Amino acid sequence: MLKLQDLTKAYRTDEVETVALNNVNIEIETGEFVAIMGPSGCGKSTLLNIIGMLDTPSSGHYFFKDEDVAGYSESQLGVIRKQHIGFIFQSFNLIDELTVAENIELALLYHDIPAAERKERVAAVMDKVGIAHRAKHMPSQLSGGQQQRVAVARAVVGNQSMILADEPTGNLDTAHGQEVMEMLQKLNEEGTTIVMVTHSPSHADYARRTINLLDGHVVTESMRSKI
Amino acid sequence: MMLFKNYFISAWRNIYNHKLFSMINILGLAIGLTSCMLIALFVRDEISYDNFWANSKNIYRMHQTFLPSGRPPMEFSASAGPIVHALKKDFPQIIHASREARKKSTFIQNGRYFDEQVTLADPDFINIFDFSIIAGDLDNTINDPNGLIINHTLANKYFPNGNALGQTMTINADVFERDFKIGAIIEDMPNNSQLNTVAIIKIVEEEWKSQEWMFDSWYSVNTHLYFSLNPGSDIDEINKQMPAFIDRNFEDSGSDDPVSSFVILNSQNVKELHLSGPSIGEYQKMGSMTTVLTFSAVAILILIIASINFMNLSTARASSRAREVSLRKVMGASRKNLITQFIGESVLITLIALFTSIVMVEMALPIYNEIIGKELSFEYASFDTIIMLLLAFGVGILGGIYPALVLSGFRPAEILKTNQSTDNNVSLKLRSALVIFQFAVSITLFVSTAVVYGQMIYAKNKDLGFNKENLLIIKNLYRDAAVEKRQLLVDEYKRLPNVISVTWSNDAPGVPTENNTSLRTPDMPENKNLLIGNRTVGYDFFETYDIKMLSGRTYDINKNDQRAEAEEIRAGKGFVSSLIINETAVNRFGFKNPEDAIGKILYRPIGNNGENLIREYQIIGVAPNVYLDTLKKEIRPEMFELMTKYAQFISVRFTGSPTAIVEETRAIWEREIPSIPFEYNHTIDQLDQQYQTEQGEMTMFAAFSGLAILIACLGLYGLASFTAERRTKEIGVRKVLGARVIDIIKLLVWQFTKPVIIANLIAWPVAYYTMSIWLEGFAYRIESILILGFCILSGIAALLIAWITVAGNSMRVAMANPIKALRYE
Repeated sequence: MLKLQDLTKAYRTDEVETVALNNVNIEIETGEFVAIMGPSGCGKSTLLNIIGMLDTPSSGHYFFKDEDVAGYSESQLGVIRKQHIGFIFQSFNLIDELTVAENIELALLYHDIPAAERKERVAAVMDKVGIAHRAKHMPSQLSGGQQQRVAVARAVVGNQSMILADEPTGNLDTAHGQEVMEMLQKLNEEGTTIVMVTHSPSHADYARRTINLLDGHVVTESMRSKI
Repeated sequence: MMLFKNYFISAWRNIYNHKLFSMINILGLAIGLTSCMLIALFVRDEISYDNFWANSKNIYRMHQTFLPSGRPPMEFSASAGPIVHALKKDFPQIIHASREARKKSTFIQNGRYFDEQVTLADPDFINIFDFSIIAGDLDNTINDPNGLIINHTLANKYFPNGNALGQTMTINADVFERDFKIGAIIEDMPNNSQLNTVAIIKIVEEEWKSQEWMFDSWYSVNTHLYFSLNPGSDIDEINKQMPAFIDRNFEDSGSDDPVSSFVILNSQNVKELHLSGPSIGEYQKMGSMTTVLTFSAVAILILIIASINFMNLSTARASSRAREVSLRKVMGASRKNLITQFIGESVLITLIALFTSIVMVEMALPIYNEIIGKELSFEYASFDTIIMLLLAFGVGILGGIYPALVLSGFRPAEILKTNQSTDNNVSLKLRSALVIFQFAVSITLFVSTAVVYGQMIYAKNKDLGFNKENLLIIKNLYRDAAVEKRQLLVDEYKRLPNVISVTWSNDAPGVPTENNTSLRTPDMPENKNLLIGNRTVGYDFFETYDIKMLSGRTYDINKNDQRAEAEEIRAGKGFVSSLIINETAVNRFGFKNPEDAIGKILYRPIGNNGENLIREYQIIGVAPNVYLDTLKKEIRPEMFELMTKYAQFISVRFTGSPTAIVEETRAIWEREIPSIPFEYNHTIDQLDQQYQTEQGEMTMFAAFSGLAILIACLGLYGLASFTAERRTKEIGVRKVLGARVIDIIKLLVWQFTKPVIIANLIAWPVAYYTMSIWLEGFAYRIESILILGFCILSGIAALLIAWITVAGNSMRVAMANPIKALRYE
């Protein structure tokens, strides 16, 4: 699916250069479920942003489906991103002024999909994550778990082949966190590649592989055979 | 006190830390206040006319109106000369009454000639108006037939050594030339007076026998009549008794109907003359009530637009200040404390704006004065300052009260716990509504400006029926010394190489006069004449003015076109005189068409004092309707009578350089008539001058409309940047989901397009309605449907301006990297 080669990301302020990622080499196969762990400030989010093409590396290569996208412009990245990648955030990032259905539909609005088909797909995905009965509600009327389910629905409604999740359970209680993780697992079983940043070892256990980052380096990679 | 200091620090830092908002607020308010102040100075000057007379509330002027059948009433600022005598006799409550006439005269000093406008008045004049006297004795001077009162400027002009009092000045006023002794010097009158007089002499009626209509005719109005009432007397009482007064005193008109059925006398307070007095016969430039009201409204609207910015930006920012408010509340601040704080903040901003605007006013005043032709200034040590401070506080409190109520109403627990957006739907809708209002007002002003400009351009370019280019008018021809040289001048001018044609006349384009006379066809009853406009012209008039006759011919020096004089008719030696009338007269007399009118006979009664004397005319030509006066007046039925005896103007049709022709004609004039100054105008300039006041006001109107839009846009800019900030998260999400930069810009721009479109829908009918009414004030005007065109253009312009205002900001936000927006909540 993707391969990072000697990838470095440095942030430069006036005087100081901060290296967020240093010579990172990672390969992720299609259909994998990878967790990225590490303490605060280790470069997890930077890594996820680069994988999600929201940010560009300072040097190195990023092969996405065998295409080196490291030097692509923002708009080129945008095209690839909207076709292949879905996002889930810790703080849900739903739009307060839109209903649940509208929030999900938003992901299809920029894909030139006819309205009728959009409605169909939104309805289908809402069924899948179990929030169909809340379609007309505003985000503020939902619980955190429900909001995150909407976010998951939004991430997959466009048939994205990869989901990037940045601490998807960070704002949720245990029960709701569990719920979301199970949903991700189900998606993974259906073939979606998932890359997830998390602090919770128990949630990392859902992944098949865990990458540990420290100070911009990959320190360990551990595989876990599926039960 | 500590609390106050804390408020002040908090307010100051808030202003300082949010530079964009503060700048927009301060700049918008400052521009608003500046516009307001400038307009207020104009309005105050306009409504202050003749307010300064000690007795102004008891001083009145009498106006005479004629009601000719089939014509609109003609109200003059003047009234008949003999009225003054009857008035004092009939109304004991009238203490003083005096006529006042202006006469262009020549002051002769050591063989040099100067043109001055002399006021001829009755002795009571100085009892009505309390002139400030510098030296001499007013009472003795005005009662002395040889006494002369002059103002400070004239005294200095002729006697720079300051010894004017007691000196002699020779004055030629055509009917007389004699010596006057300067018996009193008065202060120059303020600009805000319709009675701007520089020199006063006593009316000696015997001197005017050759022009007895000046002071001794009941049906010719040439003098202003001022009078002062006993304090407490009611002017309505006098106005009500006027019909009876007229029938009791006016000379018999020869008509079967009472004089009061076609003559009206009405008196108006001196303070009202500038804005709502009759314009025909007025010596000074007048103002207009409509203008004063319009500009007052514009000032208020601009201030409202500026205040709206203030309210909108403050409430928009409310959410970001929610934390501060909540913390203050948690620390024990009451709602009252908070309201005081926020209003204090807005008053502070307004005060900064006020000082900025005072600087702006001072910088703008010189240009402003030039545009509107006034000498306005801001008086610091006066009421002005207090008014401005009150205005600033008013705006500050008004603009601050809503945000203060919103902000102080936050419930801290909710805000601190949920950290949610506090921007509720109500304030969003209100903000939208206020933006709509701002733009509706701006667009209405835009359209109005366009219509005013359109009408002006139309008026300037309308085919007036004659050729206004290359037409030089030479004035002062009626002056005694010029009369005998008139033919000589015309002959000399005709010989100049660049001169095509020369004529003389009593009227000149753009010099309004109202001369009318009675005419009837032989079929019409004797006492049912038609009152028609009376213009007198010389040979070659129609040729010189390039007027193509509709039928018949023009006056021909080789044919006997001259009119029969009264003495000839009285002596039984009368003959049929030739006459040219205009198209409107053809219709009014009921002739079928211009051809049909040729050869028809018209009668004109010319007897005085009931004498039955008729001059008989035969129509030899019909001219098209020619607009020699302003387009505000509807064209009259008119006659152009051939006049070889007297004329006011020589008209010269020339080719080549306009300045060269002036020098050539001037040289001949100065050689032949050195005692009278050579005065001229180019018709094209004179016609432009007619619109000078309108032009100034139009420029002013356009400028203030522009400022209104500028302020509205400042607000929109602030609001857009705020909204973009507020929607950062949403924009981030959308971008992550695949929205392109252009999608985001569209989204943000559309948000502000909607209110502007709604504003258009509100503004158009309002603008259409008001401007249709405004246009009705012009007899000749652009089509109302054009307003609709202006509406559409203004709407598009407003949209474009709004887009440009919003797009830059949206672009910045749309280009920003979404991670920043999404990483931290």
